[in-house]
Amino acid sequence: MLISRSNRKQKIYIFIIEIFLLIFVLLINLPFFWMISASFKMKDEVLAFPPTVFPSRINLGGYIYIWTLVPFARYFLNSIIVSVSIAISKIILSSIAAFAFAKIPFKGKDTIFYIFLGTMMIPFEVIVIPNYIIVSGLHWLDTYWALIIPFVVGAFSIFLLRQFFMGIPRDLDDAAEIDGAGKLKYLFSIIYPLSKPALLTVGLYAFLASWNSFLWPLIVTNKDEMRVIQIGLKALQDSWMIEWNALTAASTLATVPIIILFFFVQKQFLEGISITGLKA
Amino acid sequence: MGLRERRNNLMGWLFISPPIIVFSVFIFAPMIVALVISFHKWNLLSPMRFVGFKNYIKMFHSDSFLNSLRVSIIYVLGTVPTTVIMAIILAILMNQQIHGLSFFRIMIYLPVITSMAAAAIVFQYLFEPNFGLINFVLASIGLPKMKWLNDPNQALFALILVGIWKRVGYNTIILLAGLQGIPSVYYEAAKIDGANTSQVIRKITIPLLSPVTFFVTVMQIIASLKVFTSIVVMTEGGPAGGTDAIPYYLYRNAFVYHKMGYASAVAYVLFAIIFIFTLLQFRFGEKRVHYQ
Repeated sequence: MLISRSNRKQKIYIFIIEIFLLIFVLLINLPFFWMISASFKMKDEVLAFPPTVFPSRINLGGYIYIWTLVPFARYFLNSIIVSVSIAISKIILSSIAAFAFAKIPFKGKDTIFYIFLGTMMIPFEVIVIPNYIIVSGLHWLDTYWALIIPFVVGAFSIFLLRQFFMGIPRDLDDAAEIDGAGKLKYLFSIIYPLSKPALLTVGLYAFLASWNSFLWPLIVTNKDEMRVIQIGLKALQDSWMIEWNALTAASTLATVPIIILFFFVQKQFLEGISITGLKA
Repeated sequence: MGLRERRNNLMGWLFISPPIIVFSVFIFAPMIVALVISFHKWNLLSPMRFVGFKNYIKMFHSDSFLNSLRVSIIYVLGTVPTTVIMAIILAILMNQQIHGLSFFRIMIYLPVITSMAAAAIVFQYLFEPNFGLINFVLASIGLPKMKWLNDPNQALFALILVGIWKRVGYNTIILLAGLQGIPSVYYEAAKIDGANTSQVIRKITIPLLSPVTFFVTVMQIIASLKVFTSIVVMTEGGPAGGTDAIPYYLYRNAFVYHKMGYASAVAYVLFAIIFIFTLLQFRFGEKRVHYQ
C-alpha cells in the first residue's frame, strides 16, 4: 500500500506500476506469440535474419507437415485419454478417501493420514526406476495402464479435499446421522453437491499435471501409437527433416488448448494455488 | 467394540484402500526396491550382483557425477535467488491498487501452466545462434551474438533463463496471496506514524512476508533440483556435459546405459539432498497449507 502521497502523485505512481507490469507480462508471453507467429510462416521465412514479426502470408504448411510426418492426432488423443482418465479417477478415489479421513472415525486414521502426506515428500525421480521395473513386470509398457494406473489417486488431492470436507459444518453431519442415511448416500447427497468447486479444482490440477508430464511417458512408451503429445514433440524434434515452422506448429497445438482452458477456469485455479500454496 | 464402531472401522479402511494399494505398489515398494537395487550391480538382463556401497563410492569418485552435481548447484544458484526476488518485487507491485489485477495474474501464470516440452522447443528456436530472436535483439543493440546452446556455459545460462521464466509466475501468485494475508492494521499504524513507502516495505512487508518467502524459496530449490524436461528437449545434457544436471544424469545411466544399480544410488543421493530441504521447510517453515 502506498501511503503519504498526494492523490495526483499516487495516480501517476500507480500508472507507472501498471505500465511496468504490462511490459513484463507481455515480455514473458512473447515466446507464445513468437511460437504462433512462426507456426504460420513458410519454411524459409522461419530461418530469415533479421526475423519477421508476423508471417508475410499465412501458411499452414507446418501444420500439414506434422500430420504427414507423425500420427499427431493419435498423440493428441492419447494425451486426452490419459489426462481425462486420471482427472476423473483422482476426483472419485481421492474424494472417497478424503471423506473417510474427514468424516468417519476409524482406527489408525491419523497415522495413515500422515503416511499419505509423507508420500508428497518423495520426488518421482527417486522411484522412477523401480516403477519402470514394476510396470514392465506387469507387461504394461506401451499401454495406457502404465500411463494411468500409478496416478489414479494422489495424496495432494486427498489432502485438499479432506480440508474442504472438514469445513462442511458439523450440524449437517449430525443431520445425516439422525436420518440414518448411509455413509455413501451422505457423501453423494450432501458432501458432493457442496464441494463442486473443490472437486473441479482437483480434477483440473490432475488433468494439467498429466497433460504436461514428461519423464514417465518418456520412459514407458516406445511405440509411436502410444506416445502422448509431449513425447510426440520430442520425437518430432528428433526427426532430421523437421523445420521450425512445423515444430512451432506442433508446440502451438500442445499449448494453445491448455491456454484456452486456463482462461475459462483460471479463477478456480489461481485461488486453489493461493490457498493451498502447493504444487503447480 | 460396538457394532457402530466396527462398522466405522470397516467403512474407513474400505474407503482408503484404493490409495493404500496404489501408494504401496507405486511409492512405498519402489522406495524400498530402489534402496535395495542401489547396493547391487544390475543391467536388467544378467542377474543382480550385490556390491555393497560400491555404487555410492564410485559416484563420488566419478568426474561425470561430480560434474552433474556442479551443474545442479549452479542451476539452483542461478534460478532460486533471481526467481524469488523477482517474484517478491512483482507481488508487491501487484498488491498496489492497480487496475487489471486479474489480467496480470492470468498473464503471469501462463508460462506455469503450459508444457515445458513445448516451451523448450520454442526457446530452442529463440536461442538459435544464426536466426534466433534473442541474438537478433542482442545484435540490434550492438552486443555480440552468443553461441547459447552450442557452448557449455552459455547453454546452462540459457536453461537458467528458461527455468526463471517458467517459475516466476508461480512464486509471484503465492507471494501475492501472502501479501494479501498481512492485516491492514499494520499499514494503518505505519501511516499514522508517518512512514514512507520504502520504510513500509522494509519494516512491515518484507518481515511479515518472510514465512511465505521461506516457503517459496524451499519449493523453488526443490523444483530446480528436479530440472529435467528442458534439458532433454534443449541440450540433452550437452554440450560437453555442460547441462548434465543430476536428474538427467540419473535418466541417462538408468534408461540409456541400463546401469540400474548405479542410477538407483544416484536417485537416493538426489532424494537425500531434496529431503534436507523438505525437512527444513517442515522444521522452520510456517505451515501454509490451509484450506479455510
